[in-house]
Amino acid sequence: MKPMITVHQLSKSFRSPLPAPEGPFRGLRTLMSRQYTEKEAVRGVSFSILPGEFVGYIGPNGAGKSTTIKMLAGILHPSSGVVQIDGLNPHRDRRQVARRLGVLFGQRTQLWWDLPVRDSYDILAAMYGIGTERKDARMDELADLLQLGEFMDTPVRKLSLGQRMRADLAAALLHDPDVLFLDEPTIGLDVVAKRSIREYLHNINVELGKTVLLTTHDMDDIEQLCSRVIVINRGTLGFDGTIDELRRRIGLPTLIRVTYRQTPVWPPADFNTDHTSLRLAEVDGRMLTAECNREAISAMEALRLLEQYGDIEDVHMEEPHFEDVIHKLY
Amino acid sequence: MLFYVLAHRTYARNLQYRGAHMIHNIASAFFGFIYTSIWTAIAADQPLGEYGSAGIVSYVAFNQCSLWVAAFLTNGLGIEQSVRTGGIALELMRPVHLFYQLMCKEWGQIAYQFVYKFIPIYALYAIVLPMYIPSSLMIWLSTAAALLLAGYISICVNYIIGAVALWTTESRWLYWVNHAFSMLLSGFLIPLEWLPEPLAFIARWSFYPFLHYIPTRIYLGISSPLSLLGSLAWAVLLTALCLGLTSLMRRKVEVQGG
Amino acid sequence: MMSGLRMYGLLFRASIRSRMQYRFNFWFSSVMTAIISIVEFLMLAVILLKFGHINGWSLAEAGWLYSVLSLSRAIYRTVASDVHNIESYLVSGDLDGLLLRPIPVLTALMSRNVSIRFGEVFQGIAILTVSMSALMREGQIGWLSIPLTIFVIIAGALLLFSIGLLTASAGFWLTRITELQNITEDAARTAVQYPVSIYPRWLQGILVGIIPVGFANYMPGLFVLRGDTGWWMLPLTAGIAGALFALALFVWRFGISRYQSTGS
Repeated sequence: MKPMITVHQLSKSFRSPLPAPEGPFRGLRTLMSRQYTEKEAVRGVSFSILPGEFVGYIGPNGAGKSTTIKMLAGILHPSSGVVQIDGLNPHRDRRQVARRLGVLFGQRTQLWWDLPVRDSYDILAAMYGIGTERKDARMDELADLLQLGEFMDTPVRKLSLGQRMRADLAAALLHDPDVLFLDEPTIGLDVVAKRSIREYLHNINVELGKTVLLTTHDMDDIEQLCSRVIVINRGTLGFDGTIDELRRRIGLPTLIRVTYRQTPVWPPADFNTDHTSLRLAEVDGRMLTAECNREAISAMEALRLLEQYGDIEDVHMEEPHFEDVIHKLY
Repeated sequence: MLFYVLAHRTYARNLQYRGAHMIHNIASAFFGFIYTSIWTAIAADQPLGEYGSAGIVSYVAFNQCSLWVAAFLTNGLGIEQSVRTGGIALELMRPVHLFYQLMCKEWGQIAYQFVYKFIPIYALYAIVLPMYIPSSLMIWLSTAAALLLAGYISICVNYIIGAVALWTTESRWLYWVNHAFSMLLSGFLIPLEWLPEPLAFIARWSFYPFLHYIPTRIYLGISSPLSLLGSLAWAVLLTALCLGLTSLMRRKVEVQGG
Repeated sequence: MMSGLRMYGLLFRASIRSRMQYRFNFWFSSVMTAIISIVEFLMLAVILLKFGHINGWSLAEAGWLYSVLSLSRAIYRTVASDVHNIESYLVSGDLDGLLLRPIPVLTALMSRNVSIRFGEVFQGIAILTVSMSALMREGQIGWLSIPLTIFVIIAGALLLFSIGLLTASAGFWLTRITELQNITEDAARTAVQYPVSIYPRWLQGILVGIIPVGFANYMPGLFVLRGDTGWWMLPLTAGIAGALFALALFVWRFGISRYQSTGS
């Protein structure tokens, strides 16, 4: 299958004039300065995304995330390397690529603020050259999928954040793009709205077969929606694989909390030196917390080990938070 | 001392833009130059009363400088912004009177503009134009007093313009309308004695002449410092208006909840 | 190109509909701008009423020069509304959003935040009508001057637009261009509101040769109002406007591609 998005050895460096030393007319002298500093924002990034994938693209602030996205969208020209979307070059064929791309900015709306929602779709349809019949059919589909019916005639400025997000999502999909870029789609939403947006996004990917690239700081979004995660850090690719692979790579341990029926006979002090895949972390009355590396030892074996020290009344297992995994990666 | 603190903060805040402001001075000086050119062309073949062609050039040039002290103030003293964000309620509740607060801040603005706009443009005119420069200390002092009073009157007017923001969202426009009328009635481009009667009548009964006409004529030594009594009278009247308006504002905020 | 025009029209109308949502605001600002621009003209009128003429130009002639320029400017700012505000787009990053659309960035900017300058149009037409009828009554100009005036106004609008577009393009290099706009647009335009002959030679040279706003009213005015120069003045005016426009478009496109390379 031909990839939908291809990025090969993508690099971008920014040249900015070296700030002039302190003194009068500093701003003006900086403008005329001949000395430059080069800052490599993105260095040799390569990945390809197949049609229908739902990929998370994450990284700490300043890592080169938005720079990459801008290059994919054709807003920025790369310094070197190749970018292709559906075989087209975004910075050479910007407008053509724009037709294949739908973008949702969580923090900004692309709808016309003072006009009813319906009007924005009419305008966008005209902009993308979508005829009335096709537009109506599409609107019916999207209104159904995203439940827009209740506020089609409300001015955008009067919508709640959740409603606006759905309306923006429909706007991004109106021209039936093959690729969807989502930037912070759940930001500022309450728990209920977040869950419903995630459901919509999931359906759009599964039922409509759109390729989706998601950038966000909300790790729950990534965990629940993405089959694959690409991590960029300091301008280079840090990781590219599934979420499980990521967990395994980072190797954060699973926590096992065991509550004994009676205060146990405590394990010998050098328990931790004898065992490498199971480590005692904390002991508190009848409760014992152990860290367990699931790659090396199965849960059952770990429990059997711990049973040696008393009758187990209750067991509680905690997978590492995805956020902690990412934190370690950053 | 509160006055100094508020004024100084505004002054300091402006300092970071002084580069851009200096460039803007070129455009501003140029506008004055346009006006002096108009009068030079007229003076070429017509007598100009007590001004003479050199006098009228100084008249217009000094007016252009004094714009920065008596005309280009913060639109409505920033009250409209405050109303929009809702901060006005807080500001009215402070132990210090709103008028005093805003006046102090604006003096800082005027001080900055005096140093970084009035002075450079004046210096440029003094070099490039046949600009009259008074020799008597008395005149310098009276001019300074005239400009201070003009600035104060303008502060009051802007306070009133800003206060209107509590009743309509379009108060911002009043600033520009006021500016346009000021251009016409303050003797900015044309000395008041040459205005046709209906306009001259309106001008005479307004505060506008005390913004440009009177200060500049004092500078030129044509008007006596006693004219400042008029400025003083207007200053007192407008202050009373502003204070009265503030209680209306306070009542509005209390009723509406800001 | 045709569909580009239709697109512009569509966005333009949408922008107006947005404005009309605030009906009071719309009419109020129109009335205010009309008042302000009439009062500005009164400043000049008062001088001319008192002194009869300025540098040989009568009140009626000065009125023609003034109002033709006003109308050109009103057309320019109505048709290309937000180009003048490009600095705010550059500073806020909103320009990127425009790049995501399948339409030229210039079309998008021209059709956003449209405000039809009713106030200035009203003032311009009022003063123009009064001036031209005065001139016709004195026999200085004939009926032919009406279509010629319209021609001058349209050429002037294109000229002002080109200067504005060139200045806006500078934003791709400088980002902050408010001061530059003050000079090329506000200062230059105010200067030619009055007959250019009142200025010293070097300034006349600038207003005709470097920032050629002088061709928006004064130069063609020499022919239309006084029969000076010759018929060639009109195609020359159009030619300068057209050439400047072509240059502006070129620099604009160059600026956009630079913006895409450096991300400003």
